[in-house]
Amino acid sequence: MSAALLLLVLAAFGLGTGAAAGLLGVGGGILMVPFLTLAVGLSQHEAEATSLVVVLPTALAASLALRRRGVGDLGLALRFGVVGAVGGLVGALLALALPASALRVVFSLFLALVGVRLVRDGVRT
Amino acid sequence: MTERAVPASGPIAERETRRPLDVQLGAIGVVGGLLSGLLGVGGGVIMVPLLVLWAGYRQREAHAMSLGAIIPISVAGILTFGIAGEVRWLDAAALAVGAVVGARLGAGLLARVEERPLKIAFGCFLVAAAIAMAVHV
Repeated sequence: MSAALLLLVLAAFGLGTGAAAGLLGVGGGILMVPFLTLAVGLSQHEAEATSLVVVLPTALAASLALRRRGVGDLGLALRFGVVGAVGGLVGALLALALPASALRVVFSLFLALVGVRLVRDGVRT
Repeated sequence: MTERAVPASGPIAERETRRPLDVQLGAIGVVGGLLSGLLGVGGGVIMVPLLVLWAGYRQREAHAMSLGAIIPISVAGILTFGIAGEVRWLDAAALAVGAVVGARLGAGLLARVEERPLKIAFGCFLVAAAIAMAVHV
């Protein structure tokens, strides 16, 4: 696949991911990481790192939209997130310390759990 | 601390969004951050349920808190992975352009789509993706 075509495919996938995230409240990362490893062929670490770079502007855009509608308190949420960033740093260091195969197994388990929970929610509600 | 004595099972009043940052919220943020950095996701998938079930937030407020928190949390992960040279910046930029537009579309469709079959289909898809990833190790 040529580089330009790959970028087009990525943008199209981003569109679908963003729409799914907006619809289901499940973030884009959970879709992007499997796509980037299985379809694009990135390593587990590259896929996770790249996914986070997409998560940031998506969360920013959604937060600004919510603030315009007067939902929540963005200042408090940001301070809450600054505390959480300590966890983000430790989590990323832990990921970098793990071999790709182990990290992939951990990710798969997480993905399966979220999938089962969504199905359960869908059946119950 | 006295207002925290509200029984967990009872209805929780309108105190949520005005609440200062306490140890409970801090713990939820750190758990979300750990998941985010470890797995390359936002972390909302764990923060939203914890905010609702443990901290007594309403769904909408929890969603807003989680989204705002993901901003600094993802910055920490991006810096860490970026310094390690793992970020594919061009791929990320292409995905991000699509995702920001898509999120608007998704939010607009929200009112018009049947949620149940969507959740079931999407959940099945995630389980299938999990199996594919585990098999490819």
